[in-house]
Amino acid sequence: MQHPHADLSAYIDGALDAAAKAAVEGHLVTCALCRAHVAQLRATTALVQALPDPVPSRRLVPRLVTAPSWLAPLRTLMTLASGAAVFLFLASALVTNMAPAASTGAATTAREASGDTAVKGQAPAAQPAGAPTVTPAPAPAASPNPAFAAPTSSPAADNVVRGPATVAPDARGGTPPAASAAPAAALNPQDAARTTLSAPRPSPLLNPWLWLALAIVCGVAAIALHRRLRASI
Amino acid sequence: MTGTPDGEIQLLIERARAGDTRAFEDLARREERALYRHVVRIVGTTADAEDIVQDALFSAWRSIASFQGLSFRAWLFRIATNRALDQLRSRKRRPELPLDPPDDDDVTWAEPVAPGPDLTQLVGDREALAAVETALGSLPAEQRTALLLRDVEGFAYEEIAVITSVEIGTVKSRIHRGRLAVRNVLIARGWRGPEG
Repeated sequence: MQHPHADLSAYIDGALDAAAKAAVEGHLVTCALCRAHVAQLRATTALVQALPDPVPSRRLVPRLVTAPSWLAPLRTLMTLASGAAVFLFLASALVTNMAPAASTGAATTAREASGDTAVKGQAPAAQPAGAPTVTPAPAPAASPNPAFAAPTSSPAADNVVRGPATVAPDARGGTPPAASAAPAAALNPQDAARTTLSAPRPSPLLNPWLWLALAIVCGVAAIALHRRLRASI
Repeated sequence: MTGTPDGEIQLLIERARAGDTRAFEDLARREERALYRHVVRIVGTTADAEDIVQDALFSAWRSIASFQGLSFRAWLFRIATNRALDQLRSRKRRPELPLDPPDDDDVTWAEPVAPGPDLTQLVGDREALAAVETALGSLPAEQRTALLLRDVEGFAYEEIAVITSVEIGTVKSRIHRGRLAVRNVLIARGWRGPEG
């Protein structure tokens, strides 16, 4: 007797054509061994079906989010802006580090050039508050032409500016009226303007921290945009 | 997708083909767990299986315009199965070789040598299920794939032939050989089959 072993699985799956199915069924009527095999294969199928389902540890369906068309150009722009800001940070840091050295050198030269004038300008402020015989800051205050009194070097200008601040306590301490001439001269608007011109404030664009902050902001924005684009389709 | 009206599935498929991401996500979510259990039993590692299923679903979305003929479920299983088998081949030294040994008709039936428990009463028995899991894991990958597609996922032979890109005769042979191998493992562990 030829056992239809190879057809038994297809038989229990209902995958045989009519003729093959009839042949198997006819054989099963007379063959206890093949009936046992069919039962065993059915039981095996039931066991495979009964296996517990493994569960994924995360969501497997990708998040299909379409990105706006302007997102990619914006990411490129932010990346370039971040790079440019880093460059400007380095450049401005170099400029601001070199500028004090240059101005220090210039100040030394100017101080040497102005010589005694600067020393004299400082003399009144260095006097004790109660000294009544001192003639304070004679050059700027007493000059008939203020243009001559205007110092051409910044250290001298600094002295003129500091005049009121250092002399004012003296005035409160009972300095004679003649001693307050220097403050009056320092408050002259023309002198104040010259003082401002001779010691200009650095431009905010030369502040390296501004560029560093801008580089960080643009870099973070570029990374966020990149992640957003990667998560989309 | 049991209990889901075919019309609703068709509507979701049409919307997904038209670019509706939510419709595709809805369809994919219905098969997510089934795809995972199928792939994890092919490749054997959970992390690889998760990556494969995610990639397969993403790939399905990108190529949904080319979907035709098969049922949507069979189409998803085809993509995931191919990726899983590719992953197994890539682990081998020579990936061009087939995963299975050549089919032949010399299938042996081990017979019980001693009385044991009835197989039909073992469903739910943890030890028996572990033995089945081990036996499945020891099968050649393409036999295991065909058997899982039939016994666990319930695909017809014709669908399995399309999913695995082989002839129906090959599907029939792989399922029978795989099922018989699992049955032989259980018999070897002392269980006896139910009387026919």
